[in-house]
Amino acid sequence: MEDRLREAVAGSHADYTEARWEQVTRSRVAFQRDQLMALESGEEAGGIVRCLVNGAWGIAVFTNPADLPRKIEEATHLARTASSHVVDPVGLAPAQVVEARHEGQMKRDFRGVPLDEKRRLAEAYNKLILGHSPQIASSSVRYTDAWRRTVYANSEGTYIEQGIPDVTLMVAAVARKNGDIQQAFESLGYAAGFDTVQGKEVEARKAAQRAVDLLGAKPVQGGTYTVILDPDLAGVFIHEAFGHICEADFLLKNEPMRKVMHVGTRFGVESLNVVDDGYRAGERGNAPYDDEGVPWQKAYLIKNGILTGLMHSRATAHKMNAAPTGNARAVSWEHDPIVRMRNTFIEPGTATLDEMLQGIERGLYACAAFGGQTMFEQFTFSAAYGHEIVNGKIGPMVRDVVLTGNVFHTLQNIEMIGKDFKLEGSAGGCGKGGQWPLPTTTGAPHVRVRNVTVGGR
Amino acid sequence: MDILSRATGKAESAELYEELREGIAVSFNGGEIETASSETVRGRALRVIAGGKLGFASTAGGSDEALLESALVAASHGDPVPFQFTGRNGAAQSVPVLDPTVAQVGVDTLIRWGEEAIRRIRDEFPELIVNASLGRGTAAVLVRTSTGGAHEEKRSYLSMYVSAEQIRKGDIWSVYASSSVRQAADLDRNALLDDLLRQLRWGREIVSAPTGTPPVLFLPTGLPVLLLPLMVGFSGMSVFLGTSPLKGRLGETAFDSRLSITDDGAIPYGPRSRTFDDEGVPTNSLPLVTAGVIRNFYYDLRAAALAKADSTGNGIKGSPMGGGGFRVPPGPASRNILVAPEAGSVDEIIRDMKDGLVVAGVLGLGQGNIQSGAFSNNVGVGFVVKAGKVVGRVKNTMIAGNAYEVLKDGIQAIGGQTEWVFGSLSVPPILTGKVSVVTQ
Repeated sequence: MEDRLREAVAGSHADYTEARWEQVTRSRVAFQRDQLMALESGEEAGGIVRCLVNGAWGIAVFTNPADLPRKIEEATHLARTASSHVVDPVGLAPAQVVEARHEGQMKRDFRGVPLDEKRRLAEAYNKLILGHSPQIASSSVRYTDAWRRTVYANSEGTYIEQGIPDVTLMVAAVARKNGDIQQAFESLGYAAGFDTVQGKEVEARKAAQRAVDLLGAKPVQGGTYTVILDPDLAGVFIHEAFGHICEADFLLKNEPMRKVMHVGTRFGVESLNVVDDGYRAGERGNAPYDDEGVPWQKAYLIKNGILTGLMHSRATAHKMNAAPTGNARAVSWEHDPIVRMRNTFIEPGTATLDEMLQGIERGLYACAAFGGQTMFEQFTFSAAYGHEIVNGKIGPMVRDVVLTGNVFHTLQNIEMIGKDFKLEGSAGGCGKGGQWPLPTTTGAPHVRVRNVTVGGR
Repeated sequence: MDILSRATGKAESAELYEELREGIAVSFNGGEIETASSETVRGRALRVIAGGKLGFASTAGGSDEALLESALVAASHGDPVPFQFTGRNGAAQSVPVLDPTVAQVGVDTLIRWGEEAIRRIRDEFPELIVNASLGRGTAAVLVRTSTGGAHEEKRSYLSMYVSAEQIRKGDIWSVYASSSVRQAADLDRNALLDDLLRQLRWGREIVSAPTGTPPVLFLPTGLPVLLLPLMVGFSGMSVFLGTSPLKGRLGETAFDSRLSITDDGAIPYGPRSRTFDDEGVPTNSLPLVTAGVIRNFYYDLRAAALAKADSTGNGIKGSPMGGGGFRVPPGPASRNILVAPEAGSVDEIIRDMKDGLVVAGVLGLGQGNIQSGAFSNNVGVGFVVKAGKVVGRVKNTMIAGNAYEVLKDGIQAIGGQTEWVFGSLSVPPILTGKVSVVTQ
């Protein structure tokens, strides 16, 4: 494939051409209650070429490798057609020419683990959940692994081969009492081997117990609270609410927002540091080289409370006079790279959880996340569960906790940052522009925020 | 040798799914064309029953031998399978899903449509950032089984998505409208833009939302808040597993008597219509709720066998909300969800509701404890009604409630006009109570 790719991009007549060919092997095991819902493996290969002509992109996606030269012509033609309508042409910031080969490390390579053993692992977690309590009505356990091997070449001479492992485990429990149904889950994901999802019995039991506990929890009362976010939820918050608006493609055609997201502006307290890191051994969000061939780096989005950088592709970096940051990622060969996060986290501060609880008369301890969504500055995310905080003490469990607000106000309202820290790549993934699920990792310590709106009845 | 013949002797039976997707698309960023693209993707999946156990494997570009081997390995570690692949079932009435004129829509036309849409919005709202994407194509799908099932059809699609973003310091909001059709004549570009422009006009002013439990009008684009839990709850698998609150309640009046919901896979040119599902079972029109009474759940082959029912032709790869394609196995999923209209236009309902909240779109759709019906969402696009008139849009506002409760005791009116939203839901606006609203 190497020669084929190099030759094809070299023979292109477009201003710039890149080609990516991927081979993905994956397997998946899924149980729901006593049913084995999925036990499968797959192997697929496909490619994408992207050509720039007079400031417009043409893209062609294909599965037959013999089509490569023809697809470059097709993409060139598409780009040329679009370019006659372009007013503000796309340009590319310079990137170093790279020749590289990278393979993610696995202690126990999941490609060598028999499907049967993967099944037995998932089944054991499933049994633990189902046997946990008579109130457990159902369960869901899902194991996935994927080895993504990409070969990338562009017309500037860059050539990169990468092998990226991805393994995930999701354990969920559904508890039922009369008509009430509650669910709870734990979700893990790594760029690592099979060993990282073994021995997770504690997580399975935790999910089961929480589902049962939620049956007895009251729905949270809607209102405005001082909230302590646990590390899981704080990580989701920083990804969803802040990370996405630091993706420069969002700002590219957005003059007013670009002024808001001006590097050098204060966004939070002095102790607030937010990082997007392209490589941390074993973490799910790793992209050693992005899908434009740009090498990873650790980048501060916020340093000491001040906005210090954005995440870029080569096109956004060109337009905004910045350097590419290695954030141009594609979820698969069916897609072109767009600006995405990698391992994104709030760095730890100095407070203990006890110190953070002090002085809260009536607040909320919001834990883990069902998910989150943003619309620019406006965010909303669902905590998996929560606890009331009464007079500085963690009180009874509450459910249906959904937090919403304006990210800029919320960052300003961060009062305390914990000294603990947890980095977690969940079993799901990030979605943007029709590309889902992209492996990412989020992380944070405990974070205390005042004046947060909580939905509820 | 054909892969199904190859499977003979190694497996009792086998089922091949194959899709060939061909299409083009254009996308506009900030009012300008940025990308034109094409795709030609062929993917396959094989299910086998070997030793009485089920195995699944998928591939793009892989060999028949490797695909079969993977499926057989999966089967060897699988569980006894409760169902059989489809056989030579009766001649299904063919559902029209291919419009050959869609293929005549070229890149130039898509670009022109995008430019026209952007111009129309900017003429009235020059300060907005407008994005758009348009695409068209076909998916040729084949399902064949070693037990005699043989189905093949080509389905066309044409889609358009336009969003407009207003950005001022401290006040940013975004509205969108989209349409996905199988037949070129069904793409009403003007109606799509009318809808978008109406939202923009309604939203010129920011006003504070009524709180407590005011009348809440869900426009078709907001209604998935109430429908998503049902789409999960009516799945025969959720019912079998006991995670659906509807379990054991067939024949019961669980909803307002004005509510009727049908899951229909056979509407001519319906966005998710098809002659057969991804297991080769013919589709049909399946009443889920008739006048408030639970009539049916929907099943794929597996859920049907477990529940001792028949497949309803709902064995589909991927839900209406996304996912799917050759690499996932089929599971119970809705086709086109139709909520029966009653009476009254949106304007009339707004006039009659006097004071309340209009929900046109939410953030966080599908998050939370969806199985129980609980919802709690930020109102991304919502408007305030005072004295029967829309007076502006809301900010920092959340709605919460339980879909099952709202659709049982909270319906105040169901509108008379349906709209296709989220690809495959054809729904009228519904005015409700029992939805709590909080605001910052």
